[in-house]
Amino acid sequence: MLRFVVRRLLLLVPILLGLSILVFLWVRALPGDPAAALLGERATAESIEQVREQYGLDRPIHIQYLAYLRLVVVDRNLGTSIESRRPITEEISRRFPATVELAVASLIFATVFGIPLGFFAAKRYGGFFDNASLVGSLLGISIPIFFLALILKWIFAVELGLFPTIGRQSVEINVDHPTNFYVLDAIIALDPVAFSDALWHLVLPAIALGSIPLAIIARITRAAVLDVQNEDYVRTARAKGLASSVVDRRHVFRNAMLPVVTIIGLQTGLLLSGAILTETVFAIPGMGSWLAEAIEASDYPVLQGGILFVAVIFVLVNLLVDIAYALVDPRVRLS
Amino acid sequence: MSVTELETKEIQLDAPTGLWRDAWQRLIRNPAAIIGLVLVSLFVLTALFADVIAPYDPRDSDLSRLEGSCCPGPSSEYWFGVDDVGRDQFSRVVYGARFSLLIGVVAVTVGVTFGVLLGSISGYLGGATDTLIMRLMDIMLSIPGLLMAIGIAAMLGPGLLSVMIAVGVVNIPIFARLLRGSVLGQKHNDFVLAARAVGVPRRTILFSHILPNAISPVIVAGTLALATAIIDAAGLGFLGLGPQDPSTPEWGTMLTNTVRYLQTAPHLAIIPGLAIVVSVLGFNLIGDGLREALDPKLRGRT
Repeated sequence: MLRFVVRRLLLLVPILLGLSILVFLWVRALPGDPAAALLGERATAESIEQVREQYGLDRPIHIQYLAYLRLVVVDRNLGTSIESRRPITEEISRRFPATVELAVASLIFATVFGIPLGFFAAKRYGGFFDNASLVGSLLGISIPIFFLALILKWIFAVELGLFPTIGRQSVEINVDHPTNFYVLDAIIALDPVAFSDALWHLVLPAIALGSIPLAIIARITRAAVLDVQNEDYVRTARAKGLASSVVDRRHVFRNAMLPVVTIIGLQTGLLLSGAILTETVFAIPGMGSWLAEAIEASDYPVLQGGILFVAVIFVLVNLLVDIAYALVDPRVRLS
Repeated sequence: MSVTELETKEIQLDAPTGLWRDAWQRLIRNPAAIIGLVLVSLFVLTALFADVIAPYDPRDSDLSRLEGSCCPGPSSEYWFGVDDVGRDQFSRVVYGARFSLLIGVVAVTVGVTFGVLLGSISGYLGGATDTLIMRLMDIMLSIPGLLMAIGIAAMLGPGLLSVMIAVGVVNIPIFARLLRGSVLGQKHNDFVLAARAVGVPRRTILFSHILPNAISPVIVAGTLALATAIIDAAGLGFLGLGPQDPSTPEWGTMLTNTVRYLQTAPHLAIIPGLAIVVSVLGFNLIGDGLREALDPKLRGRT
């Protein structure tokens, strides 16, 4: 197991280096002078000179890259936002928890509804419920997230007034935010009103962002249960007279969960991509809406730092999923 | 006639026709796939004959159509109503099909062309080339799709062409991996060994022997990629990276520009949104149907 983890960690090094090269070259490929791109329209000759010095822009490109790498890895400095004039790492520490909270809420929604949906569809294979869930899941992956988010917001928040339209908490709520995970902060403050308020703000965005994972999890669960149901050990279990519910629970469900767990882990990229659109619609101050604003404002340092950060998180989560999978299924470690 | 020529002929005559006829038979017995075929035909025909179907010029804004309010809903004269600057919404949706189809086809073509090329070279040559190409693909896959598309579109500057290239590039690693796997699986088949034994050049083996046999997963993935490409392109349009001229009838951009009228004139945003859903659903249904129809495990079970 240790060897597996070490090997996977070593494989990570070239990927992370490649990623940093890609992001580094990206700024140089932008139209115009990289120093001007990093400083925006309000740049002065003085500040351009300062950035040139900091990034070593007057030196050969490989030296520039090493300077950039040192800045990012050693100094943990991702640059400064053109719009807010604040360090990007500071913005990330404020905004990333919002995105994680939303992504986790979406994944919980998708899992809690997706697994039973897929399971019962497989149990009623070919029946009405099965076909309805197949059509539903296809529809789920065919609706653009931002369109679904807009419709949900319009119907349930604006027209019916059941949910808040934007943001992470209501204005009258007043709790400290030591972690910036608002649900967690409310628990820490032991404030039930703030807690339900934070959850209430998450419902619609989580449904919008969770729709595609929900569809995928339901389909994979259905396929996995159908596969496992025909295994010899399931037939044996039934033949020896075990109650159908016991066979389902102990033999079918447990074995069918292996591919489902992997698929749940693989949703990270989708959630991070989708957060850009969902957060924009619901005006949630997370990583996604920040990147969307950065596009509009041509805030290239934010895009550079944000893309690098999100990609590193994505790579690390995938690594954790791989390791978790190897823990559950010993066969993976050998391949 | 040399052995290799015989070999090529046999593959072309035998395997593909059998496979495709079989697949087609199974596809048209699948009700979901038929619905998909109908939706996609509708979408493609609308795109091709947009100028015949649309009653008005999609860019022609005539404020007198608004009749003093924003915005008149569907009527016998303007089927889908009139948008905020007095353009016929129906004509815009019809022309939008053209843009969506164009974006989808160009993006997937970019992805398939480069992906197939890189993947098959990687799988066939193996060794250092393989490692290099595949690590590069891993790096590309380490950036979440939409985020990479945003980066590329921002680099190229907003616009229709940028969106097509951005969405296409995101697809490259997917097809490269698919092809590599497929080529690796076939590299040691008897017909490849036979061709090598009689001295057929490597390039010919790859292009005339291996690739034709690797095409069916590409078609399935390509159909599904068309669906994703349309959604992603609409997403980029929603984020403001799409066509910069607001009169361009692109569905994602149309939706973005009319979101603020959602309460007073919901049809303006909902109709282009539904157009996206219907066309994407069509491609997803066909892709799913094709996957089942082409699945070798299910072959012969018509």
